[in-house]
Amino acid sequence: MTVITISRGSKSMGTAVAEQVAENLGYQCLSRAVLLEASEQYDIPEIQLARAMHDAPSLLERLGHRRASYVACVRAALTRHVAQDNVVYHGHAGHVLLQNVSHVLKVRIVADMDHRVSIVMREEKMSQTEALHHIQKLDKGRKRWTKTLFGVDPTDATLYDLVLNIPRFRVEDAADVICRSAQLQQFATTADSARNMHDLQLACAVKAALVETNADVAVSSHGGNVLVYCGAGERHGRKVKALAERLRPGIEGINHIEVHVGVDPPRSAV
Amino acid sequence: MILVLGTIALAVFLFIVEWIRIDVVAILIMVALPLMGLVTPVEAFSGLSSNAVVSIIAVIIIGAGLDKTGLVNQLVKPVLKVAGSSTSRIITAISVTVAGISSFMQNIGAAALFLPAIQRISKKLKIPMSKLLMPVGFSAILGGTMTLVGCSPLILLNDLMAQFKLEPFGLFDVTPIGAALVFAGIACFIVLGRWILPSPKVEEPDQVEEPEEEELEADIHELFTPPDFTHYRDPVTVADLRERYLVNVVALVEPPDFKVVAPASTTQVHSGVSLGVFGPRDAIERMAAEEGMELQEQLDVFAEDLTDQESGTVEAVVAPRSDLLDRTLAEVKFEDRYQVTPISLGRHDETFHSDIDHVPLRVGDVLTLHGPWKRLHYLHESDNNLLFTLQVEVEDLKKDKAFFAGLWLAVALTMVIVFKIHLSVCLMTGAVGMILTRVLTVDEAYNAVDWRTVFLLAGLIPLGMATEKTGAAAWIANGVLQGIGPTSPIVLIAVIALLATFFTLVISNVGATVLLVPLAINMAKASGLDPRMAALAVGLATSNSFILPTHQVNALYMGPGGYRSRDFMKAGVVMSVLFLVVMITMMYLLYGI
Repeated sequence: MTVITISRGSKSMGTAVAEQVAENLGYQCLSRAVLLEASEQYDIPEIQLARAMHDAPSLLERLGHRRASYVACVRAALTRHVAQDNVVYHGHAGHVLLQNVSHVLKVRIVADMDHRVSIVMREEKMSQTEALHHIQKLDKGRKRWTKTLFGVDPTDATLYDLVLNIPRFRVEDAADVICRSAQLQQFATTADSARNMHDLQLACAVKAALVETNADVAVSSHGGNVLVYCGAGERHGRKVKALAERLRPGIEGINHIEVHVGVDPPRSAV
Repeated sequence: MILVLGTIALAVFLFIVEWIRIDVVAILIMVALPLMGLVTPVEAFSGLSSNAVVSIIAVIIIGAGLDKTGLVNQLVKPVLKVAGSSTSRIITAISVTVAGISSFMQNIGAAALFLPAIQRISKKLKIPMSKLLMPVGFSAILGGTMTLVGCSPLILLNDLMAQFKLEPFGLFDVTPIGAALVFAGIACFIVLGRWILPSPKVEEPDQVEEPEEEELEADIHELFTPPDFTHYRDPVTVADLRERYLVNVVALVEPPDFKVVAPASTTQVHSGVSLGVFGPRDAIERMAAEEGMELQEQLDVFAEDLTDQESGTVEAVVAPRSDLLDRTLAEVKFEDRYQVTPISLGRHDETFHSDIDHVPLRVGDVLTLHGPWKRLHYLHESDNNLLFTLQVEVEDLKKDKAFFAGLWLAVALTMVIVFKIHLSVCLMTGAVGMILTRVLTVDEAYNAVDWRTVFLLAGLIPLGMATEKTGAAAWIANGVLQGIGPTSPIVLIAVIALLATFFTLVISNVGATVLLVPLAINMAKASGLDPRMAALAVGLATSNSFILPTHQVNALYMGPGGYRSRDFMKAGVVMSVLFLVVMITMMYLLYGI
């Protein structure tokens, strides 16, 4: 009973490993489904969500908050799915979107550059130089995306519980290692970790509902007590408070809601 | 004279920039003046033995006595009953009371007294705080002009006049003027309030309704953690329970002999411990069910410690100049430092229950604290960072001494009015009487004295002397008179009052009084105006501090009222003009200037 996130560089066989793991364990395998659900629920074209989750934000986008609001919507959809457990997620940035939950096994699949280049050359009919350039560009974009939105470097191995180098492991072997790791006691869902997961889900749902009109908000939840951190002035804080209160009937599980203006959010807030 | 003018310029500069605390500036002046040979050593320290300083010490002790017996705080409930639910009645009832208290106690104490009550009224009747607080705050300042002991400038006045051998003012000589000012101030807000007081505006969409905040009826309960409480789970801390259930652990007993009141947020809850918790019953029941705790039907382990007789909750307002400002409860290790548990934090018309440990505190924030009465009482007596607004219902609250507190106040007033004995002697008699009849102990009296104010007064008095002695006051006065040319007494009073108003906004009211009284008396003498009236104009107009939130009362109310500086400017300009008009009119009618 656990959740597995698989982060991978392009052409690192991550998708194949994720599907194998899901099949071995009988788990649900998620990637695009999360985007589709977010698209449907928040009425945002899937292509825009995909772009928001994939492309590094431009300078202009960094000034606005549309991308952050799209990411919040995807995160809300993802947390709703994984709250039900037994999920393998191999979409973008699962390791940062599902922070602070102990029963999430975070896996990173890497492959050496020669291996990846050869796949691109074969699949995309590119020269070696073009393929190398193509992969480097994609890697750079993803690194910038994660750095800009979450302040972490996706290639930092300390973000993961397990890092597997694919040419050394076959897909079946890698899947087997991941499945065995997932059975370990420390990744089992406990009452505490399930509660943390529900808190994360609730915080993400509230953030997704608020962030479209209020860029500068962060949300945390503890046992249904939702705390919204708002960086703007007092008057804006009142507006956020009023909007947050209106969310209560629509979002299940809110016990109490407060808005703290001008208070630095804790690292656990989303 | 140049040295004196230089010292004045330096003092004014330091008062404005506030690089050094203003009382320290005053002490520096007290030491520097004899070193420069501008006053004799005896004159330099004469402020410490002045009637003004003795009077203010006595006033503070009498105020502490009234406070300790709960006499003043007992006014809150009946006043709120009279206030009813109309905005005008609420403003009038509270403002008149605050002005009355302020005429005998420090303004800031009177202003803080009603703050939580006003917050509750605002929330209950949906009247914006901004519509209520400024009128009450201004009334607290205006109330200080109702007696000669209502504010520091008026206390100081007779001493500053003594060196000119002018007849001193009596305790109630200023009362008609002060009462007229209070009346005019309240009337101004009743009539013009809708235009000069800010209305809270919510950014678009405005249609969003202000949510009804749920009132959490909280009480004390006892819980027990079973032997397997910590098995197969993450450690649970006091902070975790507060965040998850909004329930506060106020006491914890762990066998064999560990007992802590107001445990720190980081304290872990182990197996087999008894918890005394404060919170809404349903939240506590939910916590007990989800965390696997046993809820006791009645207090057992805490049957003695957490009864209503032994412990309870009070509200405390974060004071201006508090060490707690801009710091969080976690940063100051509040529970460790104060040994009481913060339950909630009130700001504007909102009450925070979640994660209050990490909210930077502001002036006027209302902390609801739970703890043993004795501990709360000690804080009430000894800590200047928090202004306690509901009287701590402690065992040693000397309610039975309320009669003596009232009696000694009456004795002091009778001595002033009937026997015409010097003000400082009368007030000190009242203060000593309270100590003799054990309204408060002599140590409590010492602790109550605000030494900052004492040294501010004592340090600046010699500067006034030096200004006069060296001829600096006369020189400036002549310069000003030449500048404005021949003029009528009423215009001169207006000029003096304007100068005092300006100075009190940029430097302290005491500093403004010390500098301007010799100046005003010299100007009056040179132009044939009664010098006492000139001094009185300064003493009163240094309370005309409404345009900027520099006055302590304005600073206290700025945060809770959600005011900005421009709100004070808008209402303050109207109030300041009204103040000058009413003051001069009353002086004309009473003294025929």
